[in-house]
Amino acid sequence: MIQATDLAKVYGEKTAVDGVTFTVEPGRVTGFLGPNGAGKSTTMRMIMGLDAPTRGTVTVNGAPYIKHRAPLREIGALLEARAVHPGRTAFSHLSALAATHAIPAKRVHEVIEMTGLGAVAKKKVKGFSLGMGQRLGIAAALLGDPQVVVLDEPVNGLDPEGVVWVRNLVKYLASTGRTVFLSSHLMSEMAQTADHLIVIGRGKILADAPIQDVIDSQGKARARVRTDRPEDLSRLLARSGVSIQASEREVLEVSGLDPRTIAQIALDNRVLVYELTPLQASLEEAYMQLTKDEVEYRSDEGATAAHPSGAHAAQPAPAEAQEASR
Amino acid sequence: MSTAVQPHRHVSAQTERVPGPNFFRVLNSERIKILSLLSTRILLLCAIALMVGFAALQAWGAGQLSQSLRSGGPGPRESVNIAQLLPHLPVAGVTFSQLIIGSLAVLMISGEFTTGMSRATFAAVPTRWPVLTAKAVYTIVIGFVLTYVGGYLGGLVAQPILGNYNGLHLDMASWDVQRFMLLNAAYVAAVALMGLALGGLLRNSAGSIVTLVALQFVLPIIFQLIPGDFFKEARKYLPSNAADAMFQAGSSAPLDTTYLEPWQGALVLAGYVVVLLGAAYTALKQRDV
Repeated sequence: MIQATDLAKVYGEKTAVDGVTFTVEPGRVTGFLGPNGAGKSTTMRMIMGLDAPTRGTVTVNGAPYIKHRAPLREIGALLEARAVHPGRTAFSHLSALAATHAIPAKRVHEVIEMTGLGAVAKKKVKGFSLGMGQRLGIAAALLGDPQVVVLDEPVNGLDPEGVVWVRNLVKYLASTGRTVFLSSHLMSEMAQTADHLIVIGRGKILADAPIQDVIDSQGKARARVRTDRPEDLSRLLARSGVSIQASEREVLEVSGLDPRTIAQIALDNRVLVYELTPLQASLEEAYMQLTKDEVEYRSDEGATAAHPSGAHAAQPAPAEAQEASR
Repeated sequence: MSTAVQPHRHVSAQTERVPGPNFFRVLNSERIKILSLLSTRILLLCAIALMVGFAALQAWGAGQLSQSLRSGGPGPRESVNIAQLLPHLPVAGVTFSQLIIGSLAVLMISGEFTTGMSRATFAAVPTRWPVLTAKAVYTIVIGFVLTYVGGYLGGLVAQPILGNYNGLHLDMASWDVQRFMLLNAAYVAAVALMGLALGGLLRNSAGSIVTLVALQFVLPIIFQLIPGDFFKEARKYLPSNAADAMFQAGSSAPLDTTYLEPWQGALVLAGYVVVLLGAAYTALKQRDV
């Protein structure tokens, strides 16, 4: 378990982490999500005792990291940038870390095999691809067979096979009762891997809830409607708080109305509807909503609007409704 | 994958008697780190080669000098000087080998920070001080042993070269030769410790090495060039000049009064090491990794 209480880190003028309080529970995968510069990595470094908090405390299994007699056996971490000397082999890197905790060579070989590094274990890390570097970082994190595993952007640079492997690994670790704390900027990855989500923006916690709750709390009800009279139906459905998009012929995407209301309006006006599918808000949309004011490095509005899974659906847009009904 | 991960332990490692980091384990870890880097081995070989090479060159130079003095009718004073130079011969390369060993010591710790390895290292050993202490132990061992061995090899190479010239003989077992080799070995260990401390303070390889070079080579020259008694006096307290004072320890020759007393020199040199290392320990404890 990881417990942070009013944890803060200030670098000179800049507040990286602004008094966050959260608990990462064992037995599930907790995702740590936030834009670049939101304070994810700083928080993780404070958990690992590498950065001293300016204020507040963070404990791992009930004690601050530095108080643990055998820290690598309590918590293993893969931190953002590589933490390896490029001139060493994967094997000697892991052996040097293992030596501090008298972890036997057998375990070093075990984690090398587990992470699929067997073929390159005796090669210098210098020549490793990003994905192999990530695997080595994960191998180091698992070395002490720790109760708590912290992974900062673990799927960064991994090939699809590696992504699936990490996903299965963290789910497996959580299923054995371990605490898994995982950051990622890939929301699709989070949606597939995490059970619980902590969203951070500009050093503050924006959401701390099961992943489904985060999605439900932010996404508006949406439905895809197929009808042979899209113009008429658009006009009938148009009202404040409702946005309608005509994505293709005879198809409308309606947000702000639940499917039952849409069906009732169509029935009352004798408009034929031949598909009515509730659409779930994606985690991405929920995330965009949560962090829209908290993004530190924002691209201009045009770029945001051009995003494929666009923010249109989430906002009431009367102009669009009118356009659709024309 | 699933077979390799042990099932959930209900008891925290805190209450179990599982091995965590202690000084000897950290010492072992640092040994693996040092031996697993090719750059360490290259620098060590360079330092040895440099010492042997300089000893050979100096032997040849001393031979040539004695020959020219002899043919041009030597005054007795000059021949005595050459005889006095001979014990210095095995460690002639220390002037430069100290830089290589110093750089190696710098890299031992600055390499941790520049590569990000420090995050793994200090996550494994969160109390941090054993890491620096273990590195200091190896720094001393490398600095001392390498200088002594390099000096001995240098002496062995110099002997046959000197043998070509009449009246020049280097006895490796003599008190003066052994005295110089041991004092220089201690000196190089001290310089290397200063390098280690600088690397830990600045966390930057180039910056630390440049600082070490400035302290050892540039400052003495600047202090010599600036006129006035203050700098003449202050120069005595620079590490390299303090070392020169220390090298007179146990010598049968009269002490050179432009230096401190030998014991004072040794103390000043030790002072540099203690102050820099103390600062490095404090910085390591206080600063974020």
